[in-house]
Amino acid sequence: MLSSILQQAPAETTRYMVAGYSVIFSVIFLYIVSLIVRRRNLKRDLEILDEMELKEK
Amino acid sequence: MESKPRMLAILDIVTILLFITAVAMVFLYAPLEAVMGQVQRVFYFHVANAWVGMLGFLVAAIAGVAFLRKGDRKWDVVGMAAVEISFVFFFIAIVSGSIWARGSWGTWWTWDPRLTTAAIVELVYAAYLMLRQGIEDPDRRARFGAVYAILSFISVPLTFISIRIFRTIHPVIIGSGAAGAEGSFDMTPKMLQTFMFSLFTFSFIFADLLWHRIRLGQLADKTENLRLKVLQ
Repeated sequence: MLSSILQQAPAETTRYMVAGYSVIFSVIFLYIVSLIVRRRNLKRDLEILDEMELKEK
Repeated sequence: MESKPRMLAILDIVTILLFITAVAMVFLYAPLEAVMGQVQRVFYFHVANAWVGMLGFLVAAIAGVAFLRKGDRKWDVVGMAAVEISFVFFFIAIVSGSIWARGSWGTWWTWDPRLTTAAIVELVYAAYLMLRQGIEDPDRRARFGAVYAILSFISVPLTFISIRIFRTIHPVIIGSGAAGAEGSFDMTPKMLQTFMFSLFTFSFIFADLLWHRIRLGQLADKTENLRLKVLQ
């Protein structure tokens, strides 16, 4: 009884947890997307350059 | 273009499974902290992100030494990949730490030794990424990158030990014992397991992303060489 009176509830900080994990997940996701996009662009550049090289020959 | 190596495909799957498990542990397995409440859950991935940051900067410094010794440009690709990944993860660590601080200290930012040195580390490596862009000659760029990565790594252990040698309000998690730390807490066994598993998972994430980023760097090198050849 006494301990339950003395015991305080944890602080209400749910919104900070949501904000923290939103940042963590979204930045990781964006970085992975940037890797995929850059790879796709480089592959396209490489194909164009290969074609140009073949034409020159 | 060569297809994705089988080992990398396996590493991708293992990393995704580990990440899902780590998220489940953070939200479903780790208990609610008695004082800070839900915001304490940010701590698991905040530290894991900082860990990836420091690990990558170490890898970049080692790659820098290897490049200077052997002169092989593949080490420059490794160094650049490691710095880029670590820059992103260290940025996450700083921002998530700031959000945690708002929830537990009541402020977004304070010029505490740990926060200040972490900000310096991030700025030092931001400069690395920007300065590299300004050097066109690949060999000069690689040499510059190697020396810079080695010298700038000095800032990383300084950040790690800052909370041990200076008066600070940042909690000491590994080798705990900061009496004055605001927001420090004793970890229950379940919290400790979640924390260690998060570090383990993020080590896999780092290895997986590093492999992908190295492949991207190799492809960029190949494209650059072909471009020079075609334009000549």
